[in-house]
Amino acid sequence: MKVAVIGGGIVGLSTAYFLAKKGIEVTVFEKKYLLYGASGRNFGGITLQLDSPELIKLAKRSFQLYDKLSSEIGFNILLRRDGGIRTANSEEDLKKLKRDVTLQNSVGVRSKIISPEEVKDFIPDFNEDSAIIASYCEDDGVLFPWPVIWCLAKGCKEFGVDIRLYSEVNKIESENMSIRGVYANGEFFKADFVVNAGGAWSNHINQIAGIELRNKIIKEETCVTESIKPWLNPYILDLTRQVYLCQTVRGEIVGGIVGRESETLTTSSTLDFLIEFSKKAVEILPKLKGLALLRQWAGVYDKGADNMPVLGFTKIEGFVEANGLGKLGMSIGLSVGEEIAKLIIRGENNEIKKFDPLRFLKS
Amino acid sequence: MKIRKIVCRCEDLTEEDIIRAIEEGYDDIESLKRYTGATTGPCQGKGCLMHIIRILSQKTGKKPEEIGVTVQRPPVNPVPIFVLVEGESEESEESEGKVEGLNKIR
Repeated sequence: MKVAVIGGGIVGLSTAYFLAKKGIEVTVFEKKYLLYGASGRNFGGITLQLDSPELIKLAKRSFQLYDKLSSEIGFNILLRRDGGIRTANSEEDLKKLKRDVTLQNSVGVRSKIISPEEVKDFIPDFNEDSAIIASYCEDDGVLFPWPVIWCLAKGCKEFGVDIRLYSEVNKIESENMSIRGVYANGEFFKADFVVNAGGAWSNHINQIAGIELRNKIIKEETCVTESIKPWLNPYILDLTRQVYLCQTVRGEIVGGIVGRESETLTTSSTLDFLIEFSKKAVEILPKLKGLALLRQWAGVYDKGADNMPVLGFTKIEGFVEANGLGKLGMSIGLSVGEEIAKLIIRGENNEIKKFDPLRFLKS
Repeated sequence: MKIRKIVCRCEDLTEEDIIRAIEEGYDDIESLKRYTGATTGPCQGKGCLMHIIRILSQKTGKKPEEIGVTVQRPPVNPVPIFVLVEGESEESEESEGKVEGLNKIR
């Protein structure tokens, strides 16, 4: 069996890793370099504070896989599991936070509601007037996304995966609704399965494959400050301001504003973002004012049309969707890859049935 | 004492670190930047980028112009957050003259 994976991000590489581990011949086609897409541009927060039992299950498994893979492959992914805080400053978000925590607890997630004053126990410089309520989950954490990808790439190579960089798939060939292979940089590769792990570029891949699915495209901007001693721990996401802040193991504060829907795949940075981010961030952590902002960047990711991942077989036999993870790439990407590999090997997988791409055809 | 050729002071990288990364296959400038951290520290590449290009050129035989430079990300120099907090978006009329020059940084 031969599998062509399109996209060298967390989902593509994880899928390739778990397939190759079972002895399957896999080629990964990455049109740029590793880390060009959202897997290299996110802030690295991972969370179990989600609002669907199926997503929580995938995230829990991913968290186990982080520990397992980094020791199995022998690569430090700079993961800190010291929790995550969410704050809310509106009645609507307060209700959502409480609802989410109830759901999370019902499936065994150790999250809890805490007061803004209690946030100060974790982060003494937190401005308690910036929120009316908060939640805390001790299992959340922060990792550095880059070594996650290098770790997977190393593991893939050890199992013989051919990772082709600067290799753009420009044609996907099928015959009688069954996959034959892909053309990358003009060269034909025969494949029994083609996995669309293209992230924000998955719409384009669907288009050339002849699949009608279209995910939402989200553009998100992020920035980083100079390094300081350990100060901000755990990481914090303000649901009302839509701002997140975390401190990396390198000491920098990485922060951003949760992405908004975009028509194009542009990754240009804007000053408007820096200003909006700075104003909101200092409301949460006033002492941030004294820090210098070093660098800003932007990234694009995709979300299923119903805001859920798109995972599974399509009307073209052998063409598999593994995209639409939204902001959850780092939280669920590893287990998504594992489940997609199982789907390809077994021909079915009930664990990801909820995310079946065919759900969009029924409505 | 072992002689260490420091090529990036911010991230404490030696020439050997860069060479090792290139030998591991991270041999284009964007990958090398990410794998080693070079150009991502407080100087944002002002001190190290030319060394990185030189070593890449020596190791791969590519010309500096073929190697290119990393994407230069704003701001040009680090900006304190207290300055940005005072800013207005470019569309806002009130912003004129308020933070002189700031909105011109793109």
